[in-house]
Amino acid sequence: MQAVATKLIDVTETNAEKIARQWFADVRKNPKTPSYHTLAEDRAIPQAVDFYSKFRGVFAAKSPFEEARRVFAKYADECYSNGIPLHEAIYALTLMRRHIWLYAEFQALFVSAVEQQQAVESLNRTILLFDYATYVITDRYQELMKGEIDRQVSALRALGMEESFTGSKVGIMACLMVACGFLTYYYHAVMASGVIFTHLFYIPIVLAGIWWRKRGIYVSLLLGFILIVSHLLFMKEVPLTDDLIRAIMFVVVSSVVALLAEGFSKIEVLYRPAAQAGSAAKT
Amino acid sequence: MRGYANRLIDLTEKHADRIALQWLGDVRMNPKTPSYHTFSDEKALSHAAAFYRNFRTLFCTEKPFDAARKFFTKYADERYAEGIPLHEAIYALILMRRHIWLFAEFQTLFVSAVEHRQAAESLTRTILLFDYATYVITERYEELMKREMEERIRRDGGPGGQRQAAGARPK
Repeated sequence: MQAVATKLIDVTETNAEKIARQWFADVRKNPKTPSYHTLAEDRAIPQAVDFYSKFRGVFAAKSPFEEARRVFAKYADECYSNGIPLHEAIYALTLMRRHIWLYAEFQALFVSAVEQQQAVESLNRTILLFDYATYVITDRYQELMKGEIDRQVSALRALGMEESFTGSKVGIMACLMVACGFLTYYYHAVMASGVIFTHLFYIPIVLAGIWWRKRGIYVSLLLGFILIVSHLLFMKEVPLTDDLIRAIMFVVVSSVVALLAEGFSKIEVLYRPAAQAGSAAKT
Repeated sequence: MRGYANRLIDLTEKHADRIALQWLGDVRMNPKTPSYHTFSDEKALSHAAAFYRNFRTLFCTEKPFDAARKFFTKYADERYAEGIPLHEAIYALILMRRHIWLFAEFQTLFVSAVEHRQAAESLTRTILLFDYATYVITERYEELMKREMEERIRRDGGPGGQRQAAGARPK
């Protein structure tokens, strides 16, 4: 088998660029690999050349699975970053294998009966390698997809400040509410003015919406109530309209934040089983 | 090639249960198929035997890709519903293919030089089928995963949906 295998490897290595170009022409037109139809030549061909150049290492390795894992995990990473779907990445690899044999047959590498018999053994070895390749690539793709989901879930969690914030939410909110009450008193009773201090109210309103979703609306109702009562007590001569609009806006903003936060938490819940399924598959 | 292929198909069909049993022994212990280690014997054997019994249809068809799509879409649907990860579903199938050849070799199906050449051609045809099978299964799994995610989003759009979404996919 060794002689035929060596011949096959030699031909593949020597003509790596040529075989890669034939492969590229194939994936460019093959209906099963549409993602390659628009993939730049300088991104696809080096990947195939790299594979054909490393064919000897994988073919002759003492631990073919370990070698396949090393080579094909990198292949999966590249395909994934190029946005190639898994089934196309695998089919493109299948075509790479076929092009080795097409080229070998074209070069009439196996002529005699003995060579034919050895070719079967060589084919078996190649198939074994590609079986491992398929396993490694599907496994790696699932790992990559899980990683991406984990990153998205982390981003959602960061948005909800679930991990970064460990302090007492109620304590912080109580302090902010007291500060808002004081500001209202100071501006209405002391300064007798309704200037933009109410903009600061949006800090507790947004935080309450993120932390407590719909229940956070109570915070905006309370702040609106404080604003209107203070206005009625200390600024009787000024029309209530502006503060009434401000109080309504508190509730509107609070409701929007609560809805968005609920939406994000739902997405997180949807993603989580997929991420967990990925972890379970790895164990 | 046809004569040899027929012998291979006859052998596979005739000994479907026996080959399926050997395959089961393999997936049960293979470190690359851990989901099958605790899988029901009956279920696993039934889908291996179904594959071996359908081998003739898949092998002899004039449109192998269409036949593969029909058969392996069902295979993917069933494995997905059983909670088998994609790489294991494919590796289990690869082992099914190997066990055909292991059995054929054990039965010394190909002895002469001519038979060896025919064996190479039969092997090439089998590999072609499995190339299509891998393509169909991965594509189908991707489709099923996408569909499941969409269904979850639709189902959990209303109030009280979070609890349902957190539940595992039925096995």
